[in-house]
Amino acid sequence: MIRIWSWGALIIGMIYFILPLVGMTEFSLSMRRGEYSFDAYAVVLSDSQFQATFSYSVIMALFTIVFGVLLVVPTAYWVRLRMPELRPYVEFITLLPLVIPAIVVVFGYIRLYNTSSWLPMTGTALGTNILLMFGYATLSLPYMYRAVDTGLRAVDVGTLTEAAQSLGASWVTILARIILPNVLAAVLSGAFLTFAIVMGEFTMAALLDRPAFGPYMQLLGANRAYEPSALAVIAFAITWACMGLIQLVTRFTKHTRAQT
Amino acid sequence: MAFLEISHLDKSFGANRVVKDFNLSVEQGEFVSLLGPSGCGKTTVLRMVAGFETPSSGNIAIDGRDVVNLRPNQRNIGMVFQAYALFPNLTVAQNVAFGLKVAGRAKAETAARVTEMLALIGLPDLADRYPFQLSGGQQQRVALARALAVQPHLLLLDEPLSALDAKIRASLRTEIREIQQRLGITTVFVTHDQEEALSMSDRIVVMNGGMADQIGTPFEIYNRPRTRFVAGFVGTLSRFEAVVKDPAKGAVSLGKQTITLDQQIDAAAGARVTLALRPEAAHLGRFNGCDVILPGKIAEVHFMGSVIRIKADVDGQLMSLDTFNRAETPPPRIGTEVEISLAARDFIVLSA
Repeated sequence: MIRIWSWGALIIGMIYFILPLVGMTEFSLSMRRGEYSFDAYAVVLSDSQFQATFSYSVIMALFTIVFGVLLVVPTAYWVRLRMPELRPYVEFITLLPLVIPAIVVVFGYIRLYNTSSWLPMTGTALGTNILLMFGYATLSLPYMYRAVDTGLRAVDVGTLTEAAQSLGASWVTILARIILPNVLAAVLSGAFLTFAIVMGEFTMAALLDRPAFGPYMQLLGANRAYEPSALAVIAFAITWACMGLIQLVTRFTKHTRAQT
Repeated sequence: MAFLEISHLDKSFGANRVVKDFNLSVEQGEFVSLLGPSGCGKTTVLRMVAGFETPSSGNIAIDGRDVVNLRPNQRNIGMVFQAYALFPNLTVAQNVAFGLKVAGRAKAETAARVTEMLALIGLPDLADRYPFQLSGGQQQRVALARALAVQPHLLLLDEPLSALDAKIRASLRTEIREIQQRLGITTVFVTHDQEEALSMSDRIVVMNGGMADQIGTPFEIYNRPRTRFVAGFVGTLSRFEAVVKDPAKGAVSLGKQTITLDQQIDAAAGARVTLALRPEAAHLGRFNGCDVILPGKIAEVHFMGSVIRIKADVDGQLMSLDTFNRAETPPPRIGTEVEISLAARDFIVLSA
């Protein structure tokens, strides 16, 4: 009896989740009257705006990932190694982006870094891009920090550090050659989550007026019928590909099998 | 000046003073063990030599150079940890090569050195394995090879055998000592296992409460423990309360007998002293070369294979005696009245 109920719950859940997707996909394929076609996709993919915003967001995502890794890995490492008493505070700070809406953060940025402020970052495109990257890094912080911290937990950070030190290694060598490779799977899963977040982010990019993929999706959604659905399917595919890659990376890291 | 010179070393963590005025000189090529129970400060001393802890006061000099202000990666010290601490992302060969790469040695030289080191530890075929594919004993040998690859001035071993099972521990013990002697590398070894310390070391430092209680060869430490703590911690001892009769002649009364020890006693006549005796110094029955015969009653018999450990009641005090097992002589029965013979010179007078 319980079995039937659990299957029932599962099926209802799956319908709730999958049905809209099926509907959306079906709609995105129906641009040509009376038959299924990829016309909507062709239109989207050949749109120069799509290409420009998509590549802009990809590049921003990559920079955000690099910045995030450089910020989070040494921080999480140092907190674990030398300041374990600070861990709850650091964890709390990294969770703040989940409670503070992006719009608040971005208004804060604009207020602090506008053209008449002491650091007029929004005065140039490059400055605004950097600001946006910081914003993205903030948004991905909860995921990145948690992923890296969990990765570090599986490694005996203290002893490995001391072993490397006694062999003559500097801090940079220790981080680059010992710590980072040992949390690579965790870092990559954080990186793919960051990638997915950046690709779909709307608020910050729109309010900072940058040509990102999120605002483009919104613009298209407001003006066209079939293309937004096609775009949504593409965005979903990207997110899922990222999730798949996380799985792959975790499975194929040679040395981490020791931890199972 | 000794190769490793530790003088007046002190370390406190907050109000807790864990190392107190610790002094030690280690000669080049010597194997010295720091032996003591957990919390006695032995690991802290080792970590200060390695540079992982900063002394509160005192000096550490290696080869005449003061190293207290040097960072761990500037001290050229090889260290082996209890938890192996092999880098999980690197193969055995890469682990051994790590220090050489950091030092910027040429590729060919590094490769040759790695081969040499793996041959030294007897694992030449495991170069491409990852640490998780090795047993504990193999991992610890690789850790030793990694520490030795950079030709350190000093080798520090922090309870390297504690995580291994008994058989591997015994064989690795011999192996480490052999390698140490072959390379002639100055070594400081931390352990809480007296058997390890006694069998491997040139000298032993017995530590208690952050201080060195006694420093000496394994033979001295075992046969002439200077303090009550050393006597109790290293090996098994029977203790007896005796009353000093003539301190200059070394005469004491033990039960109803008066025994003359072959040493002066640092106590006044009439004072109570504690005498200690190793189990192998007492014999059942009359024995050649023994000048003291005590009557006793068998209280416990523990058959341990090659050795039979017997406890006998002598004047209300328990005395341990070890006898070798012999197939034709079964162990005595509990309650049997026996004579126990021993030599007065084997008694150890415990001071503190």
